[in-house]
Amino acid sequence: MTQRIGPVALILAVVGLALPWLVYPVVAIDLACFALFAVSLDLLFGFVGLLSFGQALFWGGGGYLAAITLARTHVDAGIAIVIGIVYAMLLAAIVGAIAVRRAGIYFAMITLGVAQIQYFSAFQLTDITGGENGLNLHSRGTLFGFALENDRLYYYVALVLIALAVWFAVRLVRSPFGGVLRAMRENETRTIALGYRVNRYKLAVFTIAGGLAGLAGALYAIGNHLAGLEMVDWHTSGAVVMMTVLGGVGTIFGPIVGAGLFESLDYFVSKMGAFDFFGVHIPSIGEETNMVMGFVFALCVLLFRRGIVGEILARVGKRPGSG
Amino acid sequence: MLRVVNFAHGAMYMLGAFATYYGAQLFHVPFFAALIIAPLAVGAFGILLETTLLRRLYGLDPIYNLLLTFALVLVIEDVMRLLAGPLGSPYSTPDALGGITNLGFTLYPTYKLFVIVVSLVVCLAAWWIVELTPVGARIRAATENPVLVRALGIDVRRLVTGTFGVGVALAALAGVLAAPTTNVQPSMGDSVIIYTFAIVVIGGLGSIVGSIAAGFALGLLQTIGAIVFPPISTTLIFIVMVIVIVFRPAGLFGKPESAR
Amino acid sequence: MRLSRTVPAALALALLSTSFSTPAARAADSGPIKIALITDMSGVYAALAGPGAAEAVKMAVEDFGGKVLNRPIVVDVVDHRNQGPIANAKAREEFDNGAELALDMTNSATALAVAEVAKERHKLAIVTGGATSALTGAACNKYTYHYAYDTYALAHSTGSYIAGAGGKTWYGIVPDYAFGAQMLSDFTDAVEAKGGKFIKADKMPLGTTDFSSYMIAAKNAHPDVLGLLNAGADTVNSMKAAKQFQLDKQMKIAVGLLFLSDVDALPDVFAGSRITTSWYWNEDKAARAWADRYAARMHGLRPTDIQAADYSATWQWLSAVKAAGTVDADAVVKYLDGRQFNDFYAHDGQWRARDHRVTHDMYVVDVLPKEEVKEPHAWFKILQTIPGARAFRPESQSTCKKDW
Repeated sequence: MTQRIGPVALILAVVGLALPWLVYPVVAIDLACFALFAVSLDLLFGFVGLLSFGQALFWGGGGYLAAITLARTHVDAGIAIVIGIVYAMLLAAIVGAIAVRRAGIYFAMITLGVAQIQYFSAFQLTDITGGENGLNLHSRGTLFGFALENDRLYYYVALVLIALAVWFAVRLVRSPFGGVLRAMRENETRTIALGYRVNRYKLAVFTIAGGLAGLAGALYAIGNHLAGLEMVDWHTSGAVVMMTVLGGVGTIFGPIVGAGLFESLDYFVSKMGAFDFFGVHIPSIGEETNMVMGFVFALCVLLFRRGIVGEILARVGKRPGSG
Repeated sequence: MLRVVNFAHGAMYMLGAFATYYGAQLFHVPFFAALIIAPLAVGAFGILLETTLLRRLYGLDPIYNLLLTFALVLVIEDVMRLLAGPLGSPYSTPDALGGITNLGFTLYPTYKLFVIVVSLVVCLAAWWIVELTPVGARIRAATENPVLVRALGIDVRRLVTGTFGVGVALAALAGVLAAPTTNVQPSMGDSVIIYTFAIVVIGGLGSIVGSIAAGFALGLLQTIGAIVFPPISTTLIFIVMVIVIVFRPAGLFGKPESAR
Repeated sequence: MRLSRTVPAALALALLSTSFSTPAARAADSGPIKIALITDMSGVYAALAGPGAAEAVKMAVEDFGGKVLNRPIVVDVVDHRNQGPIANAKAREEFDNGAELALDMTNSATALAVAEVAKERHKLAIVTGGATSALTGAACNKYTYHYAYDTYALAHSTGSYIAGAGGKTWYGIVPDYAFGAQMLSDFTDAVEAKGGKFIKADKMPLGTTDFSSYMIAAKNAHPDVLGLLNAGADTVNSMKAAKQFQLDKQMKIAVGLLFLSDVDALPDVFAGSRITTSWYWNEDKAARAWADRYAARMHGLRPTDIQAADYSATWQWLSAVKAAGTVDADAVVKYLDGRQFNDFYAHDGQWRARDHRVTHDMYVVDVLPKEEVKEPHAWFKILQTIPGARAFRPESQSTCKKDW
């Protein structure tokens, strides 16, 4: 088992360590946070078969709560992050209690609907969230007494937390608990017949995934000194779904690759200036990165539904997601 | 109806509005002609999308269709942004429908009355076709049991394609109607699509009556909400949606079997 | 450096090709002086700043001779895509890569984000595009100047001019988010100071596109003035609805925030509205002369006040760097604070030391109907010039907690 994920994990670890020296450190922070965010979605979509189209609820919720805590108090950033996670998990437990009884499109719609409620609340509770101006932080504060202002230092701190969270997710899906999840995916009725309370398992995963997204969001907000409306927008929920599917649903590491690819594509496309495409002059497509993403994603859904890592695993003869 | 959740519906609405705008700019198509031409054009585009792309995914979980149409939204919106710019274009109310009508108890813009009448007519027509005509019966049958319907010698594929095209054309018609009141701009579909989903889910997937009733009821509710307690009016629809899904998962007018 | 020894050789090679040291050190005393124009290059604000702003800044650099302190000046144009986090990350990257000035920041969220970065990195930010008066209030800092306009100046110029000219009763259409609340409170202060009042202010929920019920209510209330205290698509849609109900024939319509580029795009929609602008290309000879040069480079387009402000701010900053003999932000701030200046953009300009508001004349204008427009883009008619001291928040009322 370990030798199978070994190479992937090793490559990711090396890239993770080298990243802030390869790209601008703040970009590296964003990338790492999105990677964990995508993992949280994969945990849900890949292992329970529930597609959340409102995962920004937890990402943004965790981000806002952490930022609000840091802006209003002088507590340690660690406490702010924990508050962000707890809030995201609480939300997930409440929403999950309603949502996990439904599947497919309905599940996607409930999560989207609740996420929209939070979006509008964040927009309108300007005294708390800053509304459309966002909530800017003067500093990242300190973690266990260490100042976090250096971007690379912050990146490595975040990387440790994110690596721990991903490790936890991998352990989870490889545990007996994960075995039940797989059984549920393959034949829900039989699993129920075997005496498992399926909805409780789903709720547990939903809550854990919410917590992971909350952690990712908190790290992102603190890293950027900013919690803004983008964090709770449904486009963000859509983007993380794209990352996950692009990387490979149900592979845990795939979404990390997907997030990396997505963010770097975004970064480079947005840096592209005007250019000529087969004689047609294209002005800057800075804001048109979505077009490129959408195109790549459409191809992925049509032709490579297993995603990049899923496809690679399948090619080397190993069934993805089979533990 | 088709169990295809089309995220690109909002984009079709936007394309309908743009078709109206460009029709007027480039070919001097008057508004009343645009009411017919734009939905036809966009509907044809929808059929093209269905036959070339969406059809490939029918055997799979409907989630994949959701994902594909989401990708299409991103592409279509950005292409329009490149073509038309982000700011949007003006389209003025046709002269015949400008002005204000006195309804006795209140003044109302003539154009808004026109929109209400057209919407009602179209909704009734859609309901009549689906529920009371032979074609509608086939569509309903095809969604419930495609294998059986195919065995009866009916071309399910064409039926599905046609229904999809009509759905897209209706979205485009809404776009045409919206063109004079709002600014025609690439992201205009964004703001309506989420509401549309909520309305359809509340009304019940596959239930036209449900969608119509829910649409009008929620419009009313939102207006009242905006007057009574403005901060909540935007979230009201989602709160209703969550409540409905909890207590009546198939929607207010839907048949309870289709949980998935 | 030590990190590279722990990673595999192949990766080390890749690492070697990139720079290890923080690039900021490189640009310390020689090499080009970099200005980062952080703006919206392709979104909804691209027309009022964007590529035009980039051209304006390049013009300023050329006019200045392309050099200051014997170092060439370069301009980096950065697209913030109207998102705070992107603006934040890009500003950091620019400052760390040697940029000495961040300019423009169209839209308040990006302006506030970049202001924080400037404060942290001890580099200068001059906001021209962002509207929020929080930049010189709650969010003020030593390294950020607010150059062109703000919500306070818009509201107080338009509000007090109209109320002073007999528009005593107001009906407000206000978007229900931070900008709307700020505008309403500023407008209310201005109108009440002149003896007028708001009879009602309707708060629009987010995403309202159908304004008809509000327009009926406004029509029935018979106010002197309809105040559309919104921006962007909301203004377009509410203005359209107002005209549909012929409110423009019955009362004056004041719009909170409107740019020349908006009128360029939708002249019929905005004709008849009354607004405040920080500059108008046809206001005097000097303005016109510059606008002619701009038009020659921009396919006949006329500059907005933001684009002119970007030119002016670039020029003023370069002059300050020259005079101070250094690009060091502390020295430049010391030089600028309290300094008075005049150019084609800023009349009676002053870099206010108290809160880093840059004050100058503002103009209340009417948007002319098409038939009264004498030449392309000449949409405005100036009604009154409001001196900077009256247009902007007085120093005595400043909410900036000055900590420098």
